[in-house]
Amino acid sequence: MLVGLAILLVLALLPLARPSTYFLGFMLILFMYAALASSWNILGGFTGYLSFGHAAFFGLGAYTTALLLFYLKWSPFWTMPLGGLVAAVFAALVGYPCLRLRGPYFSLVTLILTLAVSIIILNAPWTKGAFGMFLPFPPVDIFTNHVIFYEVMLALMVLAALVARQIERSKLGMGLAAIRENEDVAQTLGVNVTWLKMEVFLISAFLTGMIGGIYSYYISYLHPSFVFDTLISINIVLMALFGGRLTWLGPLLGASILSVVNEILTLQVEAQLARIVFGLLLIGVIIFLPDGIMAAAAPFIRRLLGQSRRRLRPSSG
Amino acid sequence: MLRGQQVTKRFGGLTALNRVDFAIEPGQIVGLIGPNGSGKTTLFNVITGFYRPEEGRILFDGHDITGARPHIVARMGIGRTFQIVQPFQNMTALENVEIGVLYGQGLSHGSESQARAQELLDLVGLGHQRHTPVRNFTLAEKKRLEIARALSVRPRLLLLDEVFAGLNPGEVKQAIELIFHIRRELGLTLLIVEHVLGALRDTCERVIVLNYGQKIAEGPPEEVFNHPEVIAAYLGSNETH
Ligand SMILES: Nc1ncnc2c1ncn2[C@@H]1O[C@H](COP(=O)(O)OP(=O)(O)OP(=O)(O)O)[C@@H](O)[C@H]1O
Ligand SMILES: [Mg+2]
Repeated sequence: MLVGLAILLVLALLPLARPSTYFLGFMLILFMYAALASSWNILGGFTGYLSFGHAAFFGLGAYTTALLLFYLKWSPFWTMPLGGLVAAVFAALVGYPCLRLRGPYFSLVTLILTLAVSIIILNAPWTKGAFGMFLPFPPVDIFTNHVIFYEVMLALMVLAALVARQIERSKLGMGLAAIRENEDVAQTLGVNVTWLKMEVFLISAFLTGMIGGIYSYYISYLHPSFVFDTLISINIVLMALFGGRLTWLGPLLGASILSVVNEILTLQVEAQLARIVFGLLLIGVIIFLPDGIMAAAAPFIRRLLGQSRRRLRPSSG
Repeated sequence: MLRGQQVTKRFGGLTALNRVDFAIEPGQIVGLIGPNGSGKTTLFNVITGFYRPEEGRILFDGHDITGARPHIVARMGIGRTFQIVQPFQNMTALENVEIGVLYGQGLSHGSESQARAQELLDLVGLGHQRHTPVRNFTLAEKKRLEIARALSVRPRLLLLDEVFAGLNPGEVKQAIELIFHIRRELGLTLLIVEHVLGALRDTCERVIVLNYGQKIAEGPPEEVFNHPEVIAAYLGSNETH
């Protein structure tokens, strides 16, 4: 807990050291993916319903705030919850039929939904379709601009992680774990599985939409192929799985490590080759560490913490 | 307490239950037997809301629960075990039982819910193993856990699906004692599916026999086990006592 707060404080104050805009840009995308992976994990990790369609929520959030900015000059900084809301409404519409499907069928349908939404947005008259939308910049210099988005993404990451953490330790979290273990048995124990799945589907979609809502402002040029990108969905899933989907901390860890690895590979090695190396790495982890590196590292971390902070033992962090 | 009227369930062309009538009075222990594939588990699934019957009705304490969803049936007071034990492998014994306390009884997560789960583990003799990950349990222990978990929704009627299967004679004896003990403690009504006829002989006051989805006999165990149609059904399917 203390370690977490300390890390958070350092991250929040980091811009005071005037790092390069490149560095801030890299970090804020890392935060974004950590936030996305955490949001995804509330559904995918806790219930075992692996959505491959979170780009749909991300994109809907992005377009919501972009349209409000473009036509009404409303700032995404305060309309981003509306982005979340639109994503959640969409989730509510598709959730009931989708969440009746189990395993790969659910994953497949969420994947297809993203494509469908993307095509609709592409052909809608007011989204500028294939031309894309140019959005106005916030009226500040490039460094300040990056600092602002850096802090906002950091805040969203903290929000998503806190929501995930809260759910994990609650009655809801135990119900979700029962669903992940065995949905039929969960029902015979009184768990309203339909409602619980729906609840976290909406929460997950809302957070994801909100993150998308701020991303569009950051990139300032919006095209369906940018935000309704299946690669985003897949990245989110892989980061959460890589880190470990059983706890709230796993996705944060997965997103952080993979973002760094990806950046190094892209800079040091050729981008195409980087992607191959990256892919192989992921396949390896998924085969050999199915519960992610968190589960594999847990005994080690516990030993480390047990020795250095014995007095903090209760209220496991 | 529980009544079925003309219950019929089909899977495509197969009629798994064919106009089955039954009634269970409060406090009774009733056996449900029949050869493989005769529809015993299907009847459990119809009662607990996993399947909606094509025809007929299920009444529980006078309420029509035909086609009610499983979690509603559970909250109304019907607990069940599964033929193949299905513990939540990645949870501890205590967590396995706490789920039903939380959702079946509507408690919030805390010391009260854990205490209730602990009581149930104590009742089935697993109290000292509350923090053991369930995947390390023996089959006999998993079956005990399965019973504790079925009790976690605080049922008035408990449905047990082949809880003795796979146990050795000593364990069967212990399991029967456990069931009597639970019944005394909690005042439960029981419907027990069983294959091992011997186990039911000493346990049940009344037995219902299914064959190809039809009820072919009903009555006290001794009477039913000597019923010609029952003997024929069991011989025909190469079952032994
Ligand atoms: N979901 C299903 N879909 C199709 N057929 C099914 C389904 N469930 C059961 N059946 C069929 O219905 C019939 C009754 O099955 P059921 O499982 O109720 O038998 P059972 O009496 O419990 O047998 P056993 O002693 O082997 O457990 C069988 O022929 C079975 O194959
Ligand atoms: Mg059966």
